[in-house]
Amino acid sequence: MIRLVRRCDFSAAHVLARPEWSDEHNRRVYGKCANPAGHGHNYTAELCFEGPLDPRTGRLLDPARLDALLRERVVGPLDGRFLNRDVPVFGRTVPTAENIARHIWDTLAGGVSPARLVGVRLIETRNNSVEYDGGEDSA
Amino acid sequence: MDFSASYRGADGVTHGHNYELEVTVSGKVDPATGMVVDLKDLKELMEREIEARFDHRSLSDDTPYFRDRAPTPETFAELIFQLLDKALPDHSLYRIRLSPTRDLTVEVTR
Repeated sequence: MIRLVRRCDFSAAHVLARPEWSDEHNRRVYGKCANPAGHGHNYTAELCFEGPLDPRTGRLLDPARLDALLRERVVGPLDGRFLNRDVPVFGRTVPTAENIARHIWDTLAGGVSPARLVGVRLIETRNNSVEYDGGEDSA
Repeated sequence: MDFSASYRGADGVTHGHNYELEVTVSGKVDPATGMVVDLKDLKELMEREIEARFDHRSLSDDTPYFRDRAPTPETFAELIFQLLDKALPDHSLYRIRLSPTRDLTVEVTR
């Protein structure tokens, strides 16, 4: 079994708060992450792929194609953004590390055939990271 | 372990990397030593099987493994897994991770 893990970085701001909750409630649930002015992180995403090696090239994914896809779908839309305001999905869901990892999964999973996306690891701080494997995770 | 090697790419241009290699072995903990594997033995085996073969070499020109295929991170990682698997006791090799750059890692398991 062979897997390829590609890492990419982006920086983004977010606020952890639900608009329909009061400031006090948001503060209780999300603590200082609910500060309405927002705060930012340098995120690192590690994308893990499985699949057959192309017998001609010896590659699982063409690196130029993969990097273009990451630029187009991950770094481009997220880097330098205020996630709650600039990325439509985070107007509806709170941009926690969990939801950002799931969003990255959703945006990449269909684009890498014949390889398969098998994991997204999103590192938010050196002490805090999230792993998502595409499994059912709704409450 | 770290080692450095070069190769000729599809465009015929030679370039190189500082490769980082992570080897994981699994097995029962020896009740006498409290160890799965003697790290000194593992280090010597990695030096013999990997470093001696590839460090400061051209994968394309100085080794016999890439005459008819390109030394991509994927094929190189597969080769390293096979070489270590052959040299280690039966099925004790669990995983290798090979990183040609900070942003790319290839992982091979059985």
